[in-house]
Amino acid sequence: MYYLGLDLGSLSCDAVLIDEQGDIVAAAVVPTGARNLEAIERAKAEVLSAAGIGADAVRATVSTGYGRDRVADRLAAVTEITCHARGILALRADTRVLIDIGGQDSKVIRIDSQGRVEDFAMNDKCAAGTGRFLEAMARALQVDIEQLSDLDHGAMQNITLSSMCTVFAESEVVSLIADGTAVNEIVKGLNRSIASRTASLVKRVCPDLNGYPVAMSGGVAHNNGVVRALGEVLQCEVTVPDRPDAIGALGAALIARDKSR
Amino acid sequence: MMKAYFSDLVKGIEAKIEQAPSEATPRKIFALEVARLGERLYSGTTPVAWCGVTAPFDLLGAMGITSCFVEFVGGMLAATGMEGAFLEEAEQLGFGRDTCGYHRAVIGAAEKGLMPVPDFLVATSSPCTGGVATVENLARHFEKELFVLNVPQPDNPAGVAYLADQLRDLAAFVTAHTATPLAPDRLAQSIQLSNQACDLLDEAFQLAGHIPSPAQGNEMSNLGIVLALLFGTPAAVTVATAYRDAFRQRIAASAGNGGHERLRLMWIQNRIQFKQPITEWLADAHGAVIVCDELNNITWDAIDPQDPWAGMAERAIRLCINGTADHRTRLLQDMARRQKVHGAVNPCHWGCRQGTGARGLIADSMKQIGVPVLNLEVDCVDSRNFSEGQVKTRLEAFMEVLAAKPSPWQL
Repeated sequence: MYYLGLDLGSLSCDAVLIDEQGDIVAAAVVPTGARNLEAIERAKAEVLSAAGIGADAVRATVSTGYGRDRVADRLAAVTEITCHARGILALRADTRVLIDIGGQDSKVIRIDSQGRVEDFAMNDKCAAGTGRFLEAMARALQVDIEQLSDLDHGAMQNITLSSMCTVFAESEVVSLIADGTAVNEIVKGLNRSIASRTASLVKRVCPDLNGYPVAMSGGVAHNNGVVRALGEVLQCEVTVPDRPDAIGALGAALIARDKSR
Repeated sequence: MMKAYFSDLVKGIEAKIEQAPSEATPRKIFALEVARLGERLYSGTTPVAWCGVTAPFDLLGAMGITSCFVEFVGGMLAATGMEGAFLEEAEQLGFGRDTCGYHRAVIGAAEKGLMPVPDFLVATSSPCTGGVATVENLARHFEKELFVLNVPQPDNPAGVAYLADQLRDLAAFVTAHTATPLAPDRLAQSIQLSNQACDLLDEAFQLAGHIPSPAQGNEMSNLGIVLALLFGTPAAVTVATAYRDAFRQRIAASAGNGGHERLRLMWIQNRIQFKQPITEWLADAHGAVIVCDELNNITWDAIDPQDPWAGMAERAIRLCINGTADHRTRLLQDMARRQKVHGAVNPCHWGCRQGTGARGLIADSMKQIGVPVLNLEVDCVDSRNFSEGQVKTRLEAFMEVLAAKPSPWQL
């Protein structure tokens, strides 16, 4: 039998299908768009097709993400916090601090030695510093969001973006471009802004990292520049697992398996 | 408009209680007495004083004054879903949208003519200077005299004597406005009623700590802080008795929160005042029951009716919302141990320096006794700033953390 995890986020809907051993059989990431029920169906169809199985081979589904309650026929809806912690432990069992930056949420999860969530902190009041923020900045810089990942290479200055409000930051970026500031310097400044904002969440749940292994998940973990900036600000190595955007869905699938036993 | 609102509310609750006396829950009795207070405030028949939170309402009542702390207005407007227009009014006057919603709402209400004109005002330096500034604004708006009570932070004889002297000065200030001197017998009677209400309330709060708790839903929300407005009156005794008796009966009948209690929570600082489903959802979806509130805590001793000045001063100084963070965290630790809570929720009301300034110290001190704290970012008055999904995700994750964690109390 198989177990399905569905992570319905604001930007993407992620699906992970695992087998009884907990190995990933198939994974899919589709844009959520305006109709999230359709995104759920598309993500499900993709993983079932990739695995070459029918829906009846799925023994249990657990949903997570902001739209977790919208998933029909689920065994349970579990928050992203618990699912991300469960997912990262399956891939990197020594992780004690997990940074997850998704479409509109950034969160830091502290995991105890037994794999339980010990504490967590999330962004509040606004979504600056998340995937949506990076989308807006890529638009202002007139580059694809994937290109942002390594555009900071060679930057030597430490430009500070004075505001982390997405709208204000976007106009600040436009002003920097107009002033002739090199794109790599602007991108490095953006990465440091995100890293600094995220670091304050890290310090909230783990005031002293003390050599704890730190990992990162979520779509923004694909951005090497942000990962590098986080490592610099936190003064530690930040590791990124394969398919970082599917960690929540993987955790959900593993919870589905655990709950079914 | 408000006079009619409170009169209709009083009549409506009275009719419901008359129709079905056995269904007169303590919350309904509490609501009735608060509505009667509102009716008096707007009746124009007694002198009115707008005050700070820690004013001595029993002293003022003994001198024939109907008094109320200004934050009550913000809470009431939010509870009735009417706060938006008043908040906007204050914002148009220049008050930032991230300042305290209680104070913005009351400033807006005064501007829009919703508040009765007071005879005078009494600001209190505790719990926050924002409150003093708000009452000072109102004094300017209504062109009425202001008396400021400086509540000292340290709980020591010098501080008590300093505040007791100010309370005597306050009595003289009131007399100057009403031309009626303070009657010592009337004050003694008022203090006796306060003591009686506090004893009963304390007993009710202890009963709420029973496992499972007899407390249901939101019925303890705002109880301690708002009932202080009725101190010195039989109404406070009536309400406190209703809670004590209802909790006793539920425990005897094993009819607490439906027997579904899995997690016991403490709520730090003030509750969310506008209508939202959080408390019921916590109970229904997670078996999580709020068994105690920081603001429902009798932290002072009985006051000597024959010499009440020092006792009233001690009461204001020892309140959980006054003094150092150390004082506050010790009270919270004691409450958490007494009520055997699994976790605590701190809404960290937006713009509240008093409420949020100590949140790291509070979280650390609770962690010392094995009680995790969830710090939220919630505007407890301005529903325009409320995102139900965001708050639910944080609370739900916190419930998952608590459920996976051994109880610190080995229940």
